[in-house]
Amino acid sequence: MSTVQKIRQVQLVGRKIRQLRKARNLTQTELSARIGIQQSDLSRMEKGEYRVSLDTLFRILATFEVSIGEFFDSVARESLTPHDIALIHNFNNLPHEAQREVEDFIAFKKIQTGEDERSAS
Amino acid sequence: MSAPRADLPPAGDLPEAFRELTRAARVEAEAGRFAAALERLAQARELAAAGGDQDLVDLASTYRAAILIERREGEAEIPRLRAILVRNAGPRGCQFAAYNIARHYELTKNFKKAVFYARIALERSLQVGDPAWSAKCHTMLGNGLLADSHLEAAIGEYEAALRLMPAPTAVSDPNDDSDEHAAARATIRANLGYCRALQGRLAESLALLYPAARVLRRFGVELHEMSARLDLSFALLQLERCREAARHARRALAMAESADDRDGARNALYLLAEAANLAGDLAEARRCFARLQQIFYPQQPHLADFLLAVDVRKIINLHA
Repeated sequence: MSTVQKIRQVQLVGRKIRQLRKARNLTQTELSARIGIQQSDLSRMEKGEYRVSLDTLFRILATFEVSIGEFFDSVARESLTPHDIALIHNFNNLPHEAQREVEDFIAFKKIQTGEDERSAS
Repeated sequence: MSAPRADLPPAGDLPEAFRELTRAARVEAEAGRFAAALERLAQARELAAAGGDQDLVDLASTYRAAILIERREGEAEIPRLRAILVRNAGPRGCQFAAYNIARHYELTKNFKKAVFYARIALERSLQVGDPAWSAKCHTMLGNGLLADSHLEAAIGEYEAALRLMPAPTAVSDPNDDSDEHAAARATIRANLGYCRALQGRLAESLALLYPAARVLRRFGVELHEMSARLDLSFALLQLERCREAARHARRALAMAESADDRDGARNALYLLAEAANLAGDLAEARRCFARLQQIFYPQQPHLADFLLAVDVRKIINLHA
C-alpha cells in the first residue's frame, strides 16, 4: 500500500503525453487523427492548456498501449534520485523472503519513529 | 398526420391557432408523448404554410427539430435548420434555428461547431431583444467553451448569462430560487462552480455548487442535479474531503444509471474510485476502477491498474 501511495503522487500531465507520443514516433497530426481531436487541441493538451474527457483520455492510453511498467520506468527516471533507483534495484534483486524482512523492518522503523515523535512532543 | 384543410381557421386567427398547437405540442413533449407532439407541430406548420406566413413555418420547423435533437434523432434536421439561416429568415426563426443546431452539436460533442452556432443564436437573440433567450445562448456558449477548455471565456459567458436571467422574486436574497427560472440559474451556477474548481478557487466553487445542487434537487431536474453532484464530488476531492466526494459521486452514479446516461455513469464511477483511492481504501478503489474498465473499456485490461497508480485529475474535464 505504501508503494502505491508513493507512486500515486505521479500525475499525468500534458508533458507526459508528449513524451509518450514522441517515443512512438507519432506526429501530433497522426495522434490527433487517431483519438478524434483536432491537432490544435492536442498541442494545447501537451502544453497543459486543454483537458479531455475520460473517454478521450482512455483512447489516448489505448493508442499508446501504455503499460504501468513503462509509464513508471520513465517517471522513475525523471523523478527519482540515483540513490533511490539504486535502493529499488537492490531491493528487487533480493530473494522474496528477504524482501519481506526488509518490508517488516521498514514497518517497524515507521512505528518506532512515530513513537519517538509522540514522546518528543 | 396533418390537419385536413377544411379544419383550417380563418387567416386572421392563424397566429392564435398556431400558438395553441405549439402549446399543445409542448405539453405532449413534456409528458414524453413525442409522436403526438410532432403531429401537433406538423399541423402547426401546415396552418402556417396555408396562411403564407414563412416565419411561422420556420418556427414550427425549429420546434420540431428541437424535439428530435433532444431525442438524439436530429441529424436530418440540421440541413433544414441551416437553410433557415442561409435564407436569413426572421430573427426569431434564425435564433431558434441557430440555437438548435448548436444544441445538436453540443449533444454530439462537436463543441467548436456548437460555439459557432451559439454565437449566431446570441446575435439574433440580441436583435429580437429577448434577455431570457440571450441568457440561454450565453449558457450554451459557456458550455461549449468549457468543454473546449477555454475556461476564462466560459466563465465570462456564464456570468453574462446570470446577469441577463430574470431576477429572482425576492431580490434581497440572491439565493432565493422560488421562481420559474430558478433551475436554469442553478444550472449556470453549477457550471460556474465547476470552472472555479478547475481554477483551484475551491471555496467559491463549493459556495456555488452546494446551493445549485439543492435547487436542482428541489425542482427535480435530475440530469442537471447529477452533473452538479459530479462537479461537487470533483471539487471536494481537490480538498481531500473524500467521504463527501464519494457520497455525491454515489448519488450521481445512481441518477446516471437510472437515466441511462453513459457519460455521467463513467464520470461518477471514476470519481467514486478516485475518492476511495485518495482515502486509502485501495480495495474499494480497485473495485470501482475495475467496474469502470469492465463496463466501458473491456479491451483495456490494464486500465484499473493505471488509474490506481496515476492521478489523471489534472488532465480531465468532466464537461467535455
